[in-house]
Amino acid sequence: MSAPYIEWPAKTNHVPKEVFEKEGLWEQELENIFYGEEWHPIVHRAEIPNPGDYKAAQLGEINIFAVHGDDGEIRIFQNTCTHRGTSLVTESSGNKKEFECPYHRWLFNLEGDLIGCPGNREFSPGFDKKDYGLLSLRVEEFYGLYFATMSDKTPPLKEYFGESFYEPLQRLLGGDGRLNLIGYQKVTYDCNWKAYCDNDGYHGALLHKAFAMLNWQGGQGTQIVTKNGHLSFDSELTMPDHVDALEDGSILDFKGTETSNGSIVLMSFPITVYTKHLDMLNIRYSFPKGPKGVEVHYVYFSHQDDDDEMVKHRIRQSSNLLGPCGLISMEDASVFSRIDKGNRTQGNAVFQKGVTDEYAIPLEVGQTDETGNLARWERYRELMGFERGLK
Amino acid sequence: MSKASAANKELIEDLNSEYIAALDDFNMNNWLACFTQQGQYILTSEENVRRKLPIAFMLDDCYARLKDRVKQVLEIQHDSTEHYQMRHFTQLISATELKVGEFRANYNFSVYYTPRDTNQTETLCVGRYEDTIVIDNGEARFEKRVAIVDTNVLPRYVAYPV
Repeated sequence: MSAPYIEWPAKTNHVPKEVFEKEGLWEQELENIFYGEEWHPIVHRAEIPNPGDYKAAQLGEINIFAVHGDDGEIRIFQNTCTHRGTSLVTESSGNKKEFECPYHRWLFNLEGDLIGCPGNREFSPGFDKKDYGLLSLRVEEFYGLYFATMSDKTPPLKEYFGESFYEPLQRLLGGDGRLNLIGYQKVTYDCNWKAYCDNDGYHGALLHKAFAMLNWQGGQGTQIVTKNGHLSFDSELTMPDHVDALEDGSILDFKGTETSNGSIVLMSFPITVYTKHLDMLNIRYSFPKGPKGVEVHYVYFSHQDDDDEMVKHRIRQSSNLLGPCGLISMEDASVFSRIDKGNRTQGNAVFQKGVTDEYAIPLEVGQTDETGNLARWERYRELMGFERGLK
Repeated sequence: MSKASAANKELIEDLNSEYIAALDDFNMNNWLACFTQQGQYILTSEENVRRKLPIAFMLDDCYARLKDRVKQVLEIQHDSTEHYQMRHFTQLISATELKVGEFRANYNFSVYYTPRDTNQTETLCVGRYEDTIVIDNGEARFEKRVAIVDTNVLPRYVAYPV
């Protein structure tokens, strides 16, 4: 099958709706994007804090797992025995002293070396255990958060993200990355992965009624976009005026220190969202399930310096405000599915709020504009090789 | 700790029936009425419970939070979420008396949902309830209902308690 082609509209604020449903796009997206020159967050050290701890994940359609080695290093491997390809881990997380394939009992240590393979005297003449270590992915770490890439050509992590992204990400990771895992919320959203990550700065106060009810205005801030499609939405932290609209307003308290101020929403290309609202530290690992459906793992953290009261507060706030049931986020989940269904129609999806030039890609965007998404669409278009129509 | 008497077991079963009828009839005030003034409701995953991770999907750890849950469903998110019809199927596994008037009940549950747009029925979640129930003056109420879903990855957003 030849690669699908979409002629892109000339105007940068128009996105062709067929991009959500055209047959064959997903396979091309895997090759050009997910297996291309991008960094994907896989695990934070707080999720696998002890030697032998592991966590399974996916990169595109490739099953992988991250493991904390005896030497303290965290490595990310493809989840496959180097002999005949059997999966080595079958649970989403756990702790093992070593990884044994059940099929022929090949044995790998936590660093991925092959340390045992029964009957190897009868193996092929050139067989050497050293050639059969687990297939590792290129990894870089940022304050305890480990990113993987399938390409040797991906630029170093800091260069890839740029300061406008990695500086707020550092604050979101508690400033020093010394985090503790407090739990997960996992859900599948019924939409194409590009609909899931097309949320914008325009919808906030309009979709989420809780903001209006609490008279909760966003603080001063801007969205900064990088040319390769990462979005950083960093604003002054504000508090709701009408907390008395709730019987228990304490879930909206901010108990952080001055240095932890700020509301942060980051989105790294192609699909990951990171947020710090009030005292909630949250990363949303996202796994497209082919062209339809995205599995999202919301992970929440506390900081190692928190006292018991602060940990309890983070738990109450995170559990009730965010995620697939959250007071200020559940509507997003509903809209993802409606965007997806509604875009299985003809024509273009059109962005308007904040557009000043229909033929440019803005990199600095107003707080309540929806144009922060355009650089990501532009990067998508370029990576997929779709040309724009004539002006 | 002893097995609940047949009479108390009946009161516990009545309470559970009221609870699932309230949710399946979309009557959030009747849902609230199933709890004591110290009542708590938690919806969480088997994975979080097994790994001793305290994050939940819903964490209503006081009566004021239960009232806010009702408000969230009826007022805040009512027009921006797509309604779905739930059907709860439960099975009492055990009922024991912890002390006079206080009981522990364990139920299995499965919950199906039918959204109005597709009119197709699917499984929302399967799991178990761990209940602390008080019986006073011949009436049972939840002091705490913890719904633990085996469905660690929910199939969609969840607008209502389970």
